Formats: sequence, structure tokens, C-alpha cells
Amino acid sequence: MHYLTDRFRPTERRLIWVAALVLLPVFFFPVLPIWTMKLWAPQYREGLTLMIYTNTIKGDLQNINILNHYVGMHAITPDDFKEFQYLPQALTFFGVMALIGALVNRRWVAILGWLAFTGFAVYMFSDYAKWLWHYGHDLDPRAALKLPTFTPPLIGMSRMANFRVLSLPGPGTVLLGLAWLLGPIAIWLEVRAASRGAPGRAVA
Amino acid sequence: MRRWIVLTLAGLATLGLATQLTGCAGTGGARGSAAERVYVKPGEHDAYYAFLSGGHHGNIYVYGMPSCRYITTIPVFTPEPAVGYGVDEESKAMLGGFTWGDAHHPGLSETDGDYDGRWLFINDMPNARIARIDLKDFKTKQIFGPIPNLSAAHACPFPTPNTEYVFAASRFSVPVPNRPAKVEDYAKDFRGVIAGIKVDPKDGTMSMGFEILMPPFAWDLADAGKGPSHGWAFFTCYNSEMAFDSLEVKASQAEMDYVAAVDWRAAQKAVDEGRAKTIGGVPVLDPAEVKGIVYLMPVPKSPHGVDVNPSGEYVCVAGKLQAEVSVFSYAKMKAAIDAGNFDGDRMGVPVLKYEDVLEAKVPVGLGPLHTQFDDKGNAYTSLFLDSQIAKWKVGPPWDVTDKIDVYYSIGHLMASEGDTRHPTGEYVVALDKLSKDRYLNVGPTHPEAAQLIDLRGPKMELLYDFPTYLEPHYAQMIKAEKLKPITVYPLAENNKPGAIKRAEDARVERKGNRVDVYGLVVRTHFTPDIIRVNEGDDVYFHWTNLEQDDDIAHGFGILWSSCNMQVEPGETKTIHWKATKAGINPFYCSNFCSALHQEMQGYIQVNPRGSTVAAVQRPDPKKVAEVAALLKDE
Repeated sequence: MHYLTDRFRPTERRLIWVAALVLLPVFFFPVLPIWTMKLWAPQYREGLTLMIYTNTIKGDLQNINILNHYVGMHAITPDDFKEFQYLPQALTFFGVMALIGALVNRRWVAILGWLAFTGFAVYMFSDYAKWLWHYGHDLDPRAALKLPTFTPPLIGMSRMANFRVLSLPGPGTVLLGLAWLLGPIAIWLEVRAASRGAPGRAVA
Repeated sequence: MRRWIVLTLAGLATLGLATQLTGCAGTGGARGSAAERVYVKPGEHDAYYAFLSGGHHGNIYVYGMPSCRYITTIPVFTPEPAVGYGVDEESKAMLGGFTWGDAHHPGLSETDGDYDGRWLFINDMPNARIARIDLKDFKTKQIFGPIPNLSAAHACPFPTPNTEYVFAASRFSVPVPNRPAKVEDYAKDFRGVIAGIKVDPKDGTMSMGFEILMPPFAWDLADAGKGPSHGWAFFTCYNSEMAFDSLEVKASQAEMDYVAAVDWRAAQKAVDEGRAKTIGGVPVLDPAEVKGIVYLMPVPKSPHGVDVNPSGEYVCVAGKLQAEVSVFSYAKMKAAIDAGNFDGDRMGVPVLKYEDVLEAKVPVGLGPLHTQFDDKGNAYTSLFLDSQIAKWKVGPPWDVTDKIDVYYSIGHLMASEGDTRHPTGEYVVALDKLSKDRYLNVGPTHPEAAQLIDLRGPKMELLYDFPTYLEPHYAQMIKAEKLKPITVYPLAENNKPGAIKRAEDARVERKGNRVDVYGLVVRTHFTPDIIRVNEGDDVYFHWTNLEQDDDIAHGFGILWSSCNMQVEPGETKTIHWKATKAGINPFYCSNFCSALHQEMQGYIQVNPRGSTVAAVQRPDPKKVAEVAALLKDE
């Protein structure tokens, strides 16, 4: 149990600082999209864009909704997503945990934060997948064009009627992912250092 | 070893020959065959916009150069029911009851003597009007006139180098003010008028500047001075004989007619100082009383076009009935005016001596009409009778250096930015009056003809020949990159009365016999799509297109009526329809918009006179909610 109550080496502690630095501003400056969708059709060679932020959706929303209503998809409106009410706060909260972890310099605090962050991320991915399923399945039976139900992919290219859709994580998610990775990296660095008998605190 | 040397030499020789051949095919800066030089690949854009006046069609045609592809028509003085121009309330009011115009001379706005791509002015000759088209959306925004006292604006608009003014001058003199008179009293009672119309530098709005009372000659064409001659405008005339009948003969007798030089700053100053009298509600200056605003330069035999060269030093006047271009020196003109060297006057306008102001006479050929310029100091003059363009050197020895045949009877010509301070010298387009046998025969009404000619080589070279609809006179060509047109009207900037921006605001309001429909159009529905009115009602439809997507315009056409218009993305337009007969009147989207365009329709239910109709009708809330959900942006 010493391991959990022990302190980080300076290198690993710096990594926790970095994670805090990435996560903390999310609530205050939600400027990076966490997911992007690009839609192309023969008459939309330039493509339509949908950008999902932690607190809203931006891009050619009206246009996409007008086109979607032909196939009976629900209009995408930021108001529908209760997620936008807590997502930025939650991410900043994990930032606070990382900050505390680094400040008090106790492994268990940081690991607890990391585990909570991981759980939250898993929940959000499944939530996002559920939304995608919902948009592709809960089609208005009165729609002018009847499409077989579909699930837009979380990541990658797909076809929907005359549209090609590319769905990719945005720079926000990339940064969040890197912040998340800092946890395992920190521990791996410590394990490696210990096994080489390098100076610093040994794994007890 | 020797074999290698021989082979290498042979290879080099072949390469040299090939280069030589390619060099022959392209002349000067131009490359490739004529076909290659006009070919614009599918999906690519032309290098120039060309604006061709539509003549008595009353509009403007837009072409791409060098492909010579027709792009669009801008309705100006003539209704265009397809888009509702002259049908919707705003454009109907702008046309002022006229359904015809004769549009001759496009005039692109200028800054420092070069096209700035902001506005395009054009005259309606017979009704003495000038229109301004905004090149942000290619729409007619103002029609100024009929200008009081002016009888036909032919020498019009020819903007000044910073678009301070556009001009207009009477082609057919009449009594000023117009009143009952005898035509025989022409010389005594009739007068020509030169008008300077102010242009607001910010938004291009035209307003009255000044008018100058001129002798009753036929005022023909104009150009504004530039560079050293900035501040002056030049107007040609014929019929200085003051004939009022059989002009064909009687107006062609005098050896000399005139170019009037107007000091427009002095004219405006005189008006501002209160030296004008008010005729027809506008300030008019009489040169017999107000000195120093206008002078006449004699020029042979019924001249036509007057064109100031790019440096602004020379005023080139085409002889029409004389086979020469008379080139006047601005410096000489100014010196003669300053020295007071006059040869009498015509109705109070001082006449300068021909030999005092003449710089050169260029023997260009028969029937010279108009002159344009390139970037290398050359001028190009159209020859109506010879059906040719003559190229000549501006400056000693004033030689004609090349001629090219055109098909047939050329009027105006349009060089690339060829009337500015910096012509690009790439192309000239011949705008011909007759096409005869040039294209597939479509019966006795022939199209007009135009030829694109390459100016980049030492010799002019015919590239392409294309027909146009009736009837381009002057035209102008501007580098495409100078124009930055919008693709949709930003909804946020739409503050038209009658505009609604939310589905929740869609409604029909009835006050007395007036019904106002506040509706919106979006792919692919009208909201509301059922409208109930009574027989005898005046119905005003205010449709707002809430789309913000490229090229998604919707139409609104009512059956058994002349009511039709197009509403572009972000735009609100109002159209009036009279419910003359009880019954059902379907309406539909007349401009193909999308996959369910055929379904975009609605009904006007016209109840018998005196039926009870709700004062406010709102569409089905469920439908409103559905539409509202679509329109929530960001």
C-alpha cells in the first residue's frame, strides 16, 4: 500500500501537472471541437461541416437539418443534449483532481482521478454512440425518403444516401486522449526506473 | 563515341525546332492555338467578367472572357418576370412605370482611374435614366431619373476617375423646360443639356449635381478626363447645323462640329455658389451668364466617340464621317483657355481654335467610331464602314500599325480594362451591329455578333466569334479577381419590413381589405401554405427565404396571374396579388430548389366577398414546431 500513499518522482509529477493544464481550461475556454463530421455530396463538393464542442454544436447545422429532414432524421439542436450542461464542468473537475494530485503529490489521488476520468470517458463514448444510433434509427415514419435504418460511424467514412460522411475526433479529443495517456505513461516510467534501479523512490 | 555526338546534336536540333514551332503558334505573351487560348476547363473560371449592355432589351449581359461564355443577365430597365424584377413591390417602384429602356453604356465605378469593382452604372437613353448595379450581388439598386430637362441620355454615364460623377447629355434637343413649341423654332427655343450626377462615395447613391444649358446640337458621347485632365469631361456632338428635319442630310453639312469640354468642378462650384437657375426643379447653369465652365473644340464632320487615353494627355475623337481620329492635347486646350484664345462662341459657349488644340490626325480608315487602349501605348479604333479594328500608336509618328477584319459593321469595342488608366492589353472584343451569315440561321431577326481578339502579340489575332442577343452597344471587361460577390444574403443583415426569421412568426394578418402574409420559404415548403382571404382583398405576400445555402433560391408563382418572383437565400420580397374571384388559387415554387421541389406548393382559398375570415391566421403549431427545429442554427 506504500505505493499508493507515496509521492511521484519529479518527472512523473510534471506529467500530472501537464494533465491538469490540459483539463482545467475546458470549462472556461471550450474552443476546441471534440468531434467533427464532414459531409460531401455531388452538389456539396466543398462539404458541410458539423463540429461538436464540449458545450455546443456548430457548423452548417441549419443546412444539415434541412437536408436531413428529407430522410426523417431528427433535427440536431444543441438544446437536445443535456451532456452540454455537464461535460465541460466534468472535464475541468478532472483537471482539478489532477491539480490536487500534483499538489499533494500522492499517487492515490492522481490514480483515483485517472480512474474516474477513464470511467467518464467510457460513459461518454457509449453515450455518443447511443446518440448516433438514435439519429440513424429513430427516423420519422412520415419522411419523404425512406432509408433503411443506419448507425453513423463513431470514426471513419460511411455513406448515407447521396452523402459521404467522415467522422473524426477533433483536436479537443486528441488533447484529452493525450492527457489521459499521461497516467499510464507516468506509471510505466516509474516501473521502468524501478526495474533499472535508478535513483529515486523505489517501488516499495 | 561519334554516334553519340551525332545523336545528341540531332536531339538538340529537334528540340530547337520544336521550341521554334511552339513560339510561332503563340504570339508574344500568348501561348497555344486560338482554341487553346479561349478554352477554360470545366469547373474553372474565366479571367475577366465582361458586362455587355443589352441595348433596347434594357438590361446587361454578363459574359466570361476569354471563353466568351454567357453567364447571366442583370435586369435593369426591363421587367424580368422570371425573377420577379419589376413585379415585386420594391423593383416595381424602382422601374417607375416604365417597361422599356435602351441601355447603351455600362460604366464601372473607378478609383484613381481604374475599375474598383464596386458598382456598375448604365444609361437608359430614351428615358434619361441611370441605373446603379451593386457588384456585391449583381442587382440593380437605384434608377435615377428621368433626369429633368434632359431629352435622351446617350452621352452617359462615363464615370469620373474616382466615381465623383456620372454624366448625361441630351441627344435630341427639346425646349427647356419642355413646353408647347413649334419645331421650326428649334434654334430659338430648343436646348441641349449636359448633366453631372453626383455619386455618393460610400454607397453609390446618385443625386443631382448640376445641369448646363447647351446649344441644341445632338450631344452624342462622352468620356471623363483622367490624370492631368482629371476634373474635365468631354462630350461630342453632331448637328451643330441645328437641323430639325431630314437630319441625315442636313446634319451632315458643316465641316466642323464640336467636342464640349466641361470643367465639372467649376460647374459644381457655380451651383454651390447659387449661380444656377432652377428649371424643372434642378439647378441649371447658362454658359452665357456663368463663364469658365464649358468650352467647345471644333472637330470635323459629325464625330462620334470621344476617348481619353490612359495617361490622360490626349482626347481622341473618332470622325464617323471622316476617316480620321482627331487627337486633341489636353495641355494645349488648357493653354488656349488660359490665354483666352477663342474664335467666338456658340450661344455663350466659347469656341477654341482647331489648330490650337489639335495634336494629331490619325488616318485610321472609314467610319471610325470608338477607341480603346492597351498597356503598351497603342490605341484601337473601331471602323464601322470598313468592318475593321485599326491599331495605332498614341504618340509620334501617330502611325496605324495593324488592322483586323471583324464581322460585320462594328460599333463599340471593348478592350480589357481598355478605358482605364491601366489597361491590361490582353483582349479586345468587337461588338458588331450585323451578324448576317456568321451563325446558324434563325430567320430574319439576326443575333448580334462579337469577336474576341488577342492583343498580346505584335499583330491582332482573331480568337473566337460568338453571337449575343439584342443589342450590345458599349461593354466593359474587368479582371475577375476585382469582384467579390456574395453567395447568400446574410439573414442577420435582413431588416426588410415584412421579414420574419422564425417559423413562430409566420402568419396572415387581415385589416379591412388588406391582407399581409408573413411567410417563410425553406426546402421544401411554404409556411404558411394555406391562406384564406376574401374576394376583393389586396393580398401582400412577404416571403423570407431562411436558407443560407449557396444557390438555394425559391420561387413564388400564383396560378392564373402575372405574380411570380424569386426569393434568394436570406432575402425578403413583397409581392401584391388581388383576389379578384372567389375560388381556389394554387401557388408553387417556380424556381427548382431541391428533391421535393414539385411538392413545394400551397393554396389561397378565396372566399366569397364578405365571408368571415380570422383577423390573424397562424399555421398549424405542429408544423411550425417542426420547421422551427430545422432552423435552429448553432
